[in-house]
Amino acid sequence: MNNIAIKIENLSKSFGQGDSKVTVIDGASFSLKKGEFVSLVAPSGAGKTTLLMMLGCVLEPSSGKITIGDEVVYDNKWKVKDDRELRRKKIGFIFQAHYLIPFLNIEENIKLLPYENGESEKVVGKRVDSIMDYLDMKDKMKSMPSQLSGGQNQRIAIARALANEPDIILADEPTAALDKQRAISVVKMLKKITREQNVTIVMVTHDDSLLPYCDKVLSIEDKKINIKVNAKV
Amino acid sequence: MINLAYKDISHSLSKFLITAISVGVLLGIVIIMIGVYRGMVFDAEVLVRDIKADIWVVQQDTLGPFAQTSKVHEDLKYQISYQDGIEESGAITFQTFQMINKGKDFKVMLIGYDPFGNIEVIDNKKLIEGRVIEKSHYEIVVSQKIGYSLGEFITLGRDQYKVVGITKDTVSNSGDYLIYSSLKDAQILQFTYTNERIRSDEKRGIKGSNPHLVNAIIAQTKEGFNATTVARMIEHTTHKKVFTKDEQESLLVDKVIKKSSKQIGMFTVILILVSIVIIALIIYTMTLEKIKEISILKLIGIPNLTIAIMIIEETVVLGFLAFISGNIFARLIAGGFPKRVLLELSDAFSLFIIILISSVFASLFGIYKVIKTDPAQAIGG
Repeated sequence: MNNIAIKIENLSKSFGQGDSKVTVIDGASFSLKKGEFVSLVAPSGAGKTTLLMMLGCVLEPSSGKITIGDEVVYDNKWKVKDDRELRRKKIGFIFQAHYLIPFLNIEENIKLLPYENGESEKVVGKRVDSIMDYLDMKDKMKSMPSQLSGGQNQRIAIARALANEPDIILADEPTAALDKQRAISVVKMLKKITREQNVTIVMVTHDDSLLPYCDKVLSIEDKKINIKVNAKV
Repeated sequence: MINLAYKDISHSLSKFLITAISVGVLLGIVIIMIGVYRGMVFDAEVLVRDIKADIWVVQQDTLGPFAQTSKVHEDLKYQISYQDGIEESGAITFQTFQMINKGKDFKVMLIGYDPFGNIEVIDNKKLIEGRVIEKSHYEIVVSQKIGYSLGEFITLGRDQYKVVGITKDTVSNSGDYLIYSSLKDAQILQFTYTNERIRSDEKRGIKGSNPHLVNAIIAQTKEGFNATTVARMIEHTTHKKVFTKDEQESLLVDKVIKKSSKQIGMFTVILILVSIVIIALIIYTMTLEKIKEISILKLIGIPNLTIAIMIIEETVVLGFLAFISGNIFARLIAGGFPKRVLLELSDAFSLFIIILISSVFASLFGIYKVIKTDPAQAIGG
């Protein structure tokens, strides 16, 4: 059984053409295993979000190959017919802010995606109950996002990312809006999730103090991606 | 499943309701405009309908007595009454003038008819107090809108007339309130001149006036006779212009109020178009307000169709609520208009269908925005 969650080969991304052409990522190759917790660090404007968007099939690369699980999703052109279906079924997202839908309550925010995937209410209900139990947020099911604190909403955002049982979760600075203590708490929770749910998480961060909690650190330097494996976590 | 439109509307219910009511007021004005048009057509026909005549005989080569001035001799009624197929005939006059009662100005139409004839001129259903005219002189029946009570006296010309009956909903084709007098009194008021006028006419070689003129002869046909056939036959033998009741009604609508109704019709169409544009802008603005949420939904994998359905459903609900509030608004203010505003359910329903279809089309702007929204907008950095 393939243990690779995501694999990119010779991936490049440029913007513009001719003299105004700017290359952000140039020939990046790496693979991440299932259940790994990986951080992505780089100075501002170095291409972290660009790489994250390409991994999430939101932004089309200029060239290269992306494989998620066993499925080649990009090989110099998109190989999937419906990128949104791919995201809906295989990828979870966590953002800087929680970005929950303000007119849906917590339960609806979490169940929206699995329902859209055609899963039954019974199956979804059971899973969401278990996730909310896991995140210790079960009593907040009927609350609206506006009634919860920033830290609580970020946990709900994590629950939403887990609800469709994705292979990978892409987290774009999920701790940026939190204080140090809450940030560490969220990162510990993400790490626990990777271990217990066998899901790979790629987390963009600017906070070096969070790096020791990750299995690997991807850094972008001079358009190339370096991988550092943390020996002790 | 989760109904996104329902959830979104519930979340900002008061804002949504205020928006719907605002659009509803606009639709209410459209409904009123249609009602004004309907009222105008109704008023144009109501006078001819109230008078229980099958045939109208008027001056040759005219479209009288409403679309054009018509004068015929009163005794023509005898000639008409002998025609084949005629049951009853009578003379009638119409005259508009200004009346003042309790400081208020009223434009009225005086109808003079033979109180001893058998053709019903005052619709009995509309006579709400008193009786019809039973004497040759000095009795009058008035519309309740003018504000007179039974037994009061009204001065018209040189004479005083006692109010013996009060009607409601009786108006001329121009919407003027109706008053009724005997034919003789009406002829004196219309065709008898003042002493000064008589002296002035005499100096010009004009001798006297003819008080035995009327504006039309009305007639009822015998049972089994076709009104159109009888009308054509009378036209042929009397050298007068003859209209059936239906022809007279068509004349009133086609000739008398055609331009006014077209004007109102065009104004209504413009208002409907403006309403549709406003609904489109509202839906578009509502979509723009949710653009962040929409980009998040798209990013996490929600298909365009699901989001488009949310927008269409919200549009339909907005259109429906606006329609309901528009109807309530129209019915609340319709009574305050000086002329008849006729609100018909069929018009309201047709407008609802037009607004519903147009609103769904209007929501396409919002849906286009959804399709064009880049899901990457949800990711910062």
